[in-house]
Amino acid sequence: MIRLFEIEWLKLKNYKVFWALIITYFLGLILVLSSGMFLMQFFKYKGAEFKGIDPTIIPLYDFPDVWQNMTYIATFFKIILAFIVIISVTNEIGYRTMRQNVIEGLSKWEFLLSKLSLVFMLSFAATVFLFFEGLITGLIYSTVKDLRSIFSELEFLAGYFLEVFTFLSFALLIGILLKRAGFAIVLIFMYTLIFEPFLTINLEHNPHIYESLKSISPYLPIRSLNNLISVPFQRYVFMEIQDFIAWKDVFIVLGWLIIYQFSIYKLLDKRDI
Amino acid sequence: MSEILSIENLVKDYGKIKAVNKLSMEVEEGSVYGLLGPNGSGKTTTLGIILDVIKKTSGKYNWFGSTSSSESRKKIGAILEVPAFYPHLSARRNLRIITKIKGKGADSIDEVLKLVNLHDRKDDPFRTFSLGMKQRLAIGAALISNPPVLILDEPTNGLDPQGIAEIRKLILQVAGQGKTILLASHLLDEVQKVCTHFIVLNKGRGIYSGLVDEVLNTSNTIEIASKDLQKLSKAVKEFSHLNSLEEEKDLLAIQLNNSVDTHALNTFLIEKGIVLTHLAIRKSSLEQKFLKILEESDDQTV
Ligand SMILES: Nc1ncnc2c1ncn2[C@@H]1O[C@H](COP(=O)(O)OP(=O)(O)OP(=O)(O)O)[C@@H](O)[C@H]1O
Ligand SMILES: [Mg+2]
Repeated sequence: MIRLFEIEWLKLKNYKVFWALIITYFLGLILVLSSGMFLMQFFKYKGAEFKGIDPTIIPLYDFPDVWQNMTYIATFFKIILAFIVIISVTNEIGYRTMRQNVIEGLSKWEFLLSKLSLVFMLSFAATVFLFFEGLITGLIYSTVKDLRSIFSELEFLAGYFLEVFTFLSFALLIGILLKRAGFAIVLIFMYTLIFEPFLTINLEHNPHIYESLKSISPYLPIRSLNNLISVPFQRYVFMEIQDFIAWKDVFIVLGWLIIYQFSIYKLLDKRDI
Repeated sequence: MSEILSIENLVKDYGKIKAVNKLSMEVEEGSVYGLLGPNGSGKTTTLGIILDVIKKTSGKYNWFGSTSSSESRKKIGAILEVPAFYPHLSARRNLRIITKIKGKGADSIDEVLKLVNLHDRKDDPFRTFSLGMKQRLAIGAALISNPPVLILDEPTNGLDPQGIAEIRKLILQVAGQGKTILLASHLLDEVQKVCTHFIVLNKGRGIYSGLVDEVLNTSNTIEIASKDLQKLSKAVKEFSHLNSLEEEKDLLAIQLNNSVDTHALNTFLIEKGIVLTHLAIRKSSLEQKFLKILEESDDQTV
């Protein structure tokens, strides 16, 4: 497994597009995640009020709430990591290097594992990064700083890892299926950000949809991922939120993960490469 | 000599097209095996199947006496059709990936780059290479970590005459080390110069296989010329052992009955008062044989 990641690393470490996307992802996250307080100050300055609350006293970075707040925001950036996965695998198909790798002595299965090692490393790095980002901003802004609060609700980091890992596996499948980077990127972008969300809205709120159809929406591929970490921000206007990760959602996502992995394997197995 | 590769009744269908049709062949250790055939006859498809990147429809093939695996592929250096490398990586880094895949150290990389004349470009990205340089790198990649078997599909594609001559030398040199080579090429002259065995494919079927030397030694065509070709032609027609005569540009190509040699012919012509300026036994070329084999097979299938 380490050998397979080493091979993957040799392919990527001098690839400018890879670094450009990595930098975009991490810089973007740092920028957005660190500027919550400035944003609130900006709102206050503009005269905004949230049901009579001064925005700057909203404890966005208080432990342990910071974990859900941050992981929730960070999931919007996972599409950039998906681009890395798609470009990496469609390049291998386009340049015929996947074929050459197999000729040289990698099995198709090992090739797949080398790509999964990339998926794992990206998800892992993103999670570790989020841990430190949350820890640092929390230590700066949080009003509670006892160890118990800091280290509770870390399940959101695990949920985040699962979400990114599954989404990147989905991206890998789309890349291998469509073989072309441009095509795959447009498709995953449209599906994730437009097609499925609108489908979900219709399923859940359109009065003309049958009741029985409504119940499928939590099982849709992107919807189920989004359900893992629920929107946390209504809690600041005293609304009830789901401040935990539900096992049901975890199992649905794991189901999709297995489907993706199995499909990728089947696809590669029966294809001439 | 042990068997390196054996193929038995191999079939590959692409819909209605039979790209490979019940092909059987055996490659012995140390032989240099030429794979010949017109465009679309199934050479690349066959090589792709035995390298496990194209799925066979049916049939069997064995490497080193057992079924193919990623371990057996590590003992093979191969180019299939076009050079396949990472465009943004340098020659050296591309080769490093290969040694990593094969589980070998990086020490042979410089040596191989020198061998294919790319050492002074070793740090340039692959995408900046010319077609011939890409092809050289592919050959270098096949040679890396010293595999006992080489598979070369059109290895001289895009090379300059000097490059072709170098590759020919390289193949002969590698063959001299006892390696087994499978070579698909349209340059019959090349195949003739480097191969010991050959097989001819047509429409996916193996229609002929044999030793290159056998083909080259079966000729009985004799070339003759003199100052006056007209007169020579007239005289030679009177020679009773003449089988056939063809007038070519500056000479006559004739065939005699098997028992008669050039000595008898020359004596006859001298008696007729004709002095030859040229007398030679023409070696038949692989090309002639190849074309004849194809012609015969087409006749049969019609
Ligand atoms: N992916 C494919 N899909 C459909 N048909 C294919 C495919 N690959 C090859 N073929 C067909 O299989 C036959 C054999 O092709 P192949 O590439 O093996 O020929 P070749 O002997 O290598 O020819 P060339 O000398 O031009 O390289 C051809 O008729 C070709 O059209
Ligand atoms: Mg070919």
